Amino acid sequence: MKKIMEIRNLVKSFGRREYESQVLKGINLDIQEQDFVAIMGPSGAGKSTLLNMLSTLDKPTRGQIFLDGEDVTKADNKRLSVIRRDKIGFIFQEYNLLDNMTLEDNIALPLSLNGVKSREVQKRVQNMAKLFQLEEHLSKYPYQLSGGQKQRGASARALITEPKIIFADEPTGALDSRSSRDLLMSLKAANDSGRATILMVTHDAYTASYAKQVYMLSDGQVQCRLNSMGDRKVFYEEIMELLASMGGER
Amino acid sequence: MSLCRLAFSNFKRSVREYAALIISLAFSVFIFFNFQNILYSDSMDVLNSMKKDYIDMVVHAASVVFGVFLFFFIWYATNVFLNQRKKEIGIYTFMGLDNVRIGKMYALEALFIGIFSLLAGLLSGAVFSKLFQMLLMKLSEISVDIRFSFSVKPILITSAVFFVIFGLMILKGYVSITRSSVLNMLSGAKQEEMKPEKVWLAALKSVAGVAVLAAGYVCAIKTGDLDTLGYTLMAVILVIAGVYLLFGGAIPFFIRRLTRNKHFLYHKQRSLWVNNLAFRIRRNYRTYAMVTILMICSVTVLGTAIAMKQRYDKMVHFQDTFTYQVVSSHEMDMEEIEAGISQNNKVEYKAEASYLILDPSMFHTEYTNFTYGIIPFSQVKNIAEQAGLPFEYTELKKDEAIKLSHIILMSLAGQDAKDVQIGDSTYRVIAEEDTAFLGTMQEQMDIYVLNDEVYKELEPMGTLLHMYNYKIEDTSNADASRPYLKSLAETDENGQMQVGVNFSGSENNTEAWIRVMYSLCVFMFVTLILAGGSIIFIKLNNDAYEDGERYRVLRKLGIGEDTLYKSMKNEIRFTYYCPFVLMAVSSWFAIRALGNVMKEDLLRVNLYSAASILVVFTLIYLVSVRVFRRKVLDKQEK
Repeated sequence: MKKIMEIRNLVKSFGRREYESQVLKGINLDIQEQDFVAIMGPSGAGKSTLLNMLSTLDKPTRGQIFLDGEDVTKADNKRLSVIRRDKIGFIFQEYNLLDNMTLEDNIALPLSLNGVKSREVQKRVQNMAKLFQLEEHLSKYPYQLSGGQKQRGASARALITEPKIIFADEPTGALDSRSSRDLLMSLKAANDSGRATILMVTHDAYTASYAKQVYMLSDGQVQCRLNSMGDRKVFYEEIMELLASMGGER
Repeated sequence: MSLCRLAFSNFKRSVREYAALIISLAFSVFIFFNFQNILYSDSMDVLNSMKKDYIDMVVHAASVVFGVFLFFFIWYATNVFLNQRKKEIGIYTFMGLDNVRIGKMYALEALFIGIFSLLAGLLSGAVFSKLFQMLLMKLSEISVDIRFSFSVKPILITSAVFFVIFGLMILKGYVSITRSSVLNMLSGAKQEEMKPEKVWLAALKSVAGVAVLAAGYVCAIKTGDLDTLGYTLMAVILVIAGVYLLFGGAIPFFIRRLTRNKHFLYHKQRSLWVNNLAFRIRRNYRTYAMVTILMICSVTVLGTAIAMKQRYDKMVHFQDTFTYQVVSSHEMDMEEIEAGISQNNKVEYKAEASYLILDPSMFHTEYTNFTYGIIPFSQVKNIAEQAGLPFEYTELKKDEAIKLSHIILMSLAGQDAKDVQIGDSTYRVIAEEDTAFLGTMQEQMDIYVLNDEVYKELEPMGTLLHMYNYKIEDTSNADASRPYLKSLAETDENGQMQVGVNFSGSENNTEAWIRVMYSLCVFMFVTLILAGGSIIFIKLNNDAYEDGERYRVLRKLGIGEDTLYKSMKNEIRFTYYCPFVLMAVSSWFAIRALGNVMKEDLLRVNLYSAASILVVFTLIYLVSVRVFRRKVLDKQEK
C-alpha cells in the first residue's frame, strides 16, 4: 500500500513563553492508501487541533506533515488552496452545504470550479448520488433535506474530486443513530471500494467502530492503536473496553 | 452600564461598519440643505427682476422632489440598518434584556447615527454652499455676485425635515423590534430558504412583465401624436410597472433557468455566483427595480433640462432675427425708416414683405380670436435672401402650403392636421417651418405660405399689410431707436392701428427661470445617479454581511481566493449593470418620447447621460468590489 500521509514529531502550542501550553506533543503517524482511521480521545486531548493541522487549516508549531510526498507545513497559502482543492476532501460536523444551491450543485461545486467538463461533472454527481443514496434529492435545497441527507451530500461533495484523503470532523455529531449508520455505511462502502482514504475524528465509539484503525489520543499524544479484525461489533467492544480502561465514558 | 452609554459605545465601535449608511444619510442632508440654502440666500433676491415667482416655484418644486427623495432614501437606508442590527442586538435577549429595552437601545444607536450624519451633512453643506450656488448660477448663465452668506433658516428646516423623517423611521424600527420574536430577531434579515416559485406563476409574471414594458415603450413612441399627454402618462405607468414585473418575474425566471442548465452552470465560477444571484434576486428585486426607475428618471430629467435649454436658445435666436418690425396698412419707404434707425444704430440687415390677414371664418376654425394670414412664396423667399435665412423650398404647387410656426418650449397637444382649408379650397401642408421669416410676428398669428398665383386670387378677400424688418448690429443699444420708431406709430380715427411697431429680444431675463430650471435638473440628475449607486452599494454591504459565512465554508473547502474573488466580482457586476442595461433600453424610449414632446433630437443627450451613469456606476462598482472583498475575504484571513 502506498503511504498517503506521514506525520513526524508534530507539535502545536498556544500562547507565549511562560503562558505557553502544548496541545500536541510530538505526534507520529502514518496513513496508507485505503486506510480508514478514527482518532478518538477525551475532550481537550487535541483531536480537533490535530485534524486542523493535517487538513492544512492550521499550521503546526513544529514538525512535518507529508501529504502525497509533499511537506504541507512549508507550503504557502496559494499552494495550500491548491492542495486542499486537489488532494483533500472535508466532511464537517455542521455539514456546510451552501444554502443557496441545490444538493446537485453543492456536490458538483468542487469539480465545476476545477474546470472539469460539465458532462463529466454530471456523470460523477450521479455516481456519488447513487453511492450515498441521494438520487431522489438532488434537485432539493439544503433546507428541504434531513440532517442525514445533508451529511451524505457533504460526504458526496468531499469524495467527488477523488481526493487522496478525506478528513471527517465528528461527521455523525449532529445526526440521529439511523442517519449516522446510513452515513457510516456509505463511507465504509466508499473506503472498501478503494475510492477513499478516510481520517475521522470522533468521540463516539460506535462511529469509530466503522474504521479499520482507531488511534487513542490523550494529553496531546497517541496513547495506543487498535486494529479492526473485520467484525464491526467485535471492534466496537474492543474500543469500549479500551475506553473503560483509560477511564473514558461508556 | 446605562442603556444610553451602551448604545453610544455600540455606535462608536461600529461607526466604520455603518460608514455606508452614514455617508448616504449625510449626502442626502447635504443635497437638501443646499437647496434650502439657495431658497433663502441673497442670490435669489438678485433674481427679482427675472420672474422671481417662476424661479421660486421651480426651486420650491425641486425642494419638494428632494424632500421626497430624502424620505425614501432614509426609509431605505434605515431599513437595511434595522435588519443588520436586529441580529446583533438580538443577542442581548440572552442577557436578560426585554424587547422594549432592546428597541430603546436600537433607537438610541440610530439617533446617534442620525445626529452624526446630520452634522456631517450640514457641515459639508455649509462648506460647499457657496460653490453649490456658484455652480447653479454659472450653469444658469446668471451673473450674480455670490457672497458666503450664512442663514439659520435652512439649517433649521433641514434639521427639522431630517428629524421628522428619521424619527418616524426610528419609531418604525422600535415598534418592529418590540414586536419581534427572539428567533426572528436573531435571524435578522438572513434569508434561509430558497422557495422556488410555481412555474406557471413565474411564467405568467415573466410574460406580463415583458408585455407591460413593451406596451410602455409603444406608448412612448406614440407620443407626439394627438393624445401626447395620455400616451406619456400611460408610458410612465407601464414602464414603472413593467420594470417591477421584469425584476420580480422574468429576470429571476431566466436566472433560475440558467441554474437548471448544468452545461452553462458548471463552467468557471458560474455555479457560485449564478446560484447566489438566483437566491438573492427574489428578495432584492425591488431594489434593482427602484434603482432602474431612478436612473430612467435621472436621464429623463437631464433630457428635459437640455431640451428646454436648446429650445430656449432657439427661442432667443428666433426673437433675435429682427430687432424692429414696422407693420403698416399702407406702403412705406423702407430706406427712410432705415435712415431714422441709423441715427442711433447701425442696421445689420433688413427685409420687407407683404402679407394678407384673412378673416378666421375663411379657415373654418373654432379658434376665432386668433389672427390668420397668408403670404406668397416669393415674398418669403425674398425675406430669406435679404436676411440671410436658410430657405430650401422649391416653388409651391397650387394645392400646397407651408405653415410658418414658431418655437415653443414644449407641446403636449401633438401635431396639427396635415391639411388646411382656406375659403373653398384645401391645401396640403407640406412642411411646418419655424425659421423666423416674419420675426416675432410669426408668434402672433397662424400664417401659411401659398403659391403666388393662389395668393393673388385670395388677395381681394383679406387685408393687405406691409412689413419692414430691421436687425441692428448692437442689440444692447436697441432702446436708443425706440423714440423714433414710436413716432411712426399711427392710428386712424376709429382707433384702428395703421402703423404698428414691434420691438423684440429686449427682455430675455424674463425667461431666466428656464435656465435656473436647467441647472436644477442637472443637479437632480447627478443626485439621482448617486442615489441609485448608493442604494445598490448599501444593499451589497448588507449582502456581504450575510455572505461571510458562505465564503468561510468555501475557503475551508479549498476554493482559492482568486476563484472567490472572480465569482464575487461577477455577482456585483450583475447587480450594477443589469439595472443599467434595462435603464439604457428604457431611457431610449423615454428620451424619444421627450424628444417628440419637446420637438428636439435628444439622442446625444441620451447617449451622454447613459455614458455618465455608466462611468459613475463603474466607479461605485469598483469601490463595492474592494469593500466586499475586505468584508468577506480579507477579514477571514486575519
